[in-house]
Amino acid sequence: MTVPPRPRIEVEDAPATPIPASPAANPAPLRPRIELEDTRAERLHAEPPPEVLTDPAPSRRAPLVLAGAVTLALGVGGLSLANFVIDQFTRAAWLGWTTLGVATAGVALLGAGVLRDVRAVLALRHVDGLRADLASTEPRRIMSAALDWAASVPGGPALLPALRAVNDPDAALALLRSGPGQALRGEADRMGRTAALQMVAGIAAMPSPSLDVLLVAWRGVRLVRQVAQLYGVRPGTLGTFALLRRTIGAATTVGALEFAGNAAAHAVLSNPLLAHLAGEVAGAGVAARRMVVLARAAAAACDPLEPPVRR
Amino acid sequence: MTRRTIRVGVTGLARAGKTAFLTSVAANLLALGAGRPVLPALARRVEGRGLQVSIAPAGAAGLPRFDHAAHLAALTADPPAWPARTSSASLLALDLVLDRQRLGISLPPARIRLELLDYPGEWLLDLPLVRTSYADWSAAVLRRLEGHPMAQEFLAYATALPAGAPADEALAATGHRLYRAMLARMRDEAGLSLLQPGRFLMPAPGPEPAWMAFFPMRGPKGGNSGLHALLALRYAAYVRAVQEDLAEPMFGNLDRIVVLVDLLSALSAGEAAFADASGALAAAAGALRWRRSLLDTALALGRLQRPPRTVSRVAYAATKADHVADRQRGNLSALLRALASPESAGPDVRTAHMPIAAVRCTEDFVWTLDGRPVSAVRGRRIGDERLLRSYPGEVPDRPPDAAFWAHPFLQLPVFEPRRPPDAGRGGVPELGLDALLLFLLEGIL
Repeated sequence: MTVPPRPRIEVEDAPATPIPASPAANPAPLRPRIELEDTRAERLHAEPPPEVLTDPAPSRRAPLVLAGAVTLALGVGGLSLANFVIDQFTRAAWLGWTTLGVATAGVALLGAGVLRDVRAVLALRHVDGLRADLASTEPRRIMSAALDWAASVPGGPALLPALRAVNDPDAALALLRSGPGQALRGEADRMGRTAALQMVAGIAAMPSPSLDVLLVAWRGVRLVRQVAQLYGVRPGTLGTFALLRRTIGAATTVGALEFAGNAAAHAVLSNPLLAHLAGEVAGAGVAARRMVVLARAAAAACDPLEPPVRR
Repeated sequence: MTRRTIRVGVTGLARAGKTAFLTSVAANLLALGAGRPVLPALARRVEGRGLQVSIAPAGAAGLPRFDHAAHLAALTADPPAWPARTSSASLLALDLVLDRQRLGISLPPARIRLELLDYPGEWLLDLPLVRTSYADWSAAVLRRLEGHPMAQEFLAYATALPAGAPADEALAATGHRLYRAMLARMRDEAGLSLLQPGRFLMPAPGPEPAWMAFFPMRGPKGGNSGLHALLALRYAAYVRAVQEDLAEPMFGNLDRIVVLVDLLSALSAGEAAFADASGALAAAAGALRWRRSLLDTALALGRLQRPPRTVSRVAYAATKADHVADRQRGNLSALLRALASPESAGPDVRTAHMPIAAVRCTEDFVWTLDGRPVSAVRGRRIGDERLLRSYPGEVPDRPPDAAFWAHPFLQLPVFEPRRPPDAGRGGVPELGLDALLLFLLEGIL
């Protein structure tokens, strides 16, 4: 077994030379300098924005079950109709032709309705597109959207020469907001006030409180459709659903306008007779106020000058 | 709908970059409101809430509007141009509308008006005059000028004037002319900053009033008459104008302050200019209203008005930080912290020190010098299509000592700004502005 050496400190006998300082440990200070490169270079650009990682957007495709059900309903319905027409032809030619005529007219009407709905949904999408264009930072895109929208709304075509004359997107937007934008909002407000008046009178005249809900729902949907038509969107059944969805989204952005709605409703109810009626009928005042807010929310949903609607 | 107004005083000596700062703030906030990927920290703060930003309408305000579009156009042009010396005050007002939600319920949006002021940096040094008498100011200026080579001509004239000199217009005009020429030389040739009065270097627009013609003069013993009395009267009129045009309307009601300091240029101008710039900064900071005095409060309440606002946050920013490499910006921040301690601010004022470049011009790169890799920057100079590499020297992390001045810091080149995306509609490339805005707007957004 070996014994490990003991630690020790000893002084050497021979004199030692000083240890030179390491040049790497204490380098001479660098001389500041500025030098021009030989080659030409492009002007420096802004650094690319950092990549933003987002969750993939949820799929908007209809579930397979729904697609299957629709296919079955339409396919089986179509086949049944065709079989029925053929069956009628076997009974009598005149009966077959008559059945074919009725079926064709029905299918055509159905198709026209569907087409109208699709067009209404596309019109709403068009509003979204215009809104995105007007909110963009590209001058040409903004000007193109401004001209497009001005041509399609009441009072807008008169502004087209002025819009073409100004070469400034900010000025064009200000023109649209102060011109057709303000006029349309004013008209939507008027519709809301009319609906509010009808609500007060209707609820006062309603024999049963349970019918109030139906009245409010029917008038609300009608008001939303009226405002949409004012903005050039003519919703069918499907379009109305899409529009209602957007209106609910827009209602959050116009929540601040509840105060304005209050003021408008109070103005409406300042009529002694209406105030008496509203007092008699619980909820009439609330319903009236909501009509005013609903009109503004519908206007915000259909107005591309408004900020994007949260859905 | 009530709108909360936040007044931000942007202070800084001449050429500190106030106009570029305001242009960049406006362009980047507008771009953020338009959903562009700018100011990432601020964007994270408002994430999920809709933010709309617009230039506020000027209304019938007496103060001219800050010409943001013209300044942005100059920065984005080919070739670009930096803003010229600011010759008059103007106001940049931005309207911010931010959606609010509490417990899943949408509340009315928060409406904030952000007001930022642009003015000639030279005028900032007029603020200390408001609390200084003519005799004290004259004594301090003449003491500071003693021995300065550029002041010899003026000092020879001022000392030759007899104490009881008559109130002669020719005497006053000559002294004023000599003093003003000396101030201009000190600014342009020596890079000095502590030069008062500021309007002698950057006069207000319009014809010059008669009370401008004064200069510092030692007073006669045991009385105040003749030329000295005339100059004192003119000084008092000047101070009144400063009080009415600058101090009360612009600096009287501030919520937050940004102090822009061009430390790098001061370092490159030499030891005397650096000390002078530090003194000027301290003088200007000392003149600002940090705390509400009991007298102010009592006077306001007596007039049935709200007491004046006080400053709650101060951001000290070392500008042109992109002229040194990233590795050195920490030192720049530490140096700023060592120089700009808000002694008069008090404990309830939150402060931050940060290096910024409101309009970024350069890119960092590694330069091999004498066989050693060094962090440096490069960019294009205005009017030159080639890249310029710059390693101006090491930035000290504390007030520089004699050893630092033995190895001079190089003069900073005038780089051209990086090209802003979409002609400025996508924001302006910046460095550190994001953090500064986040600090200033904390508690508001």
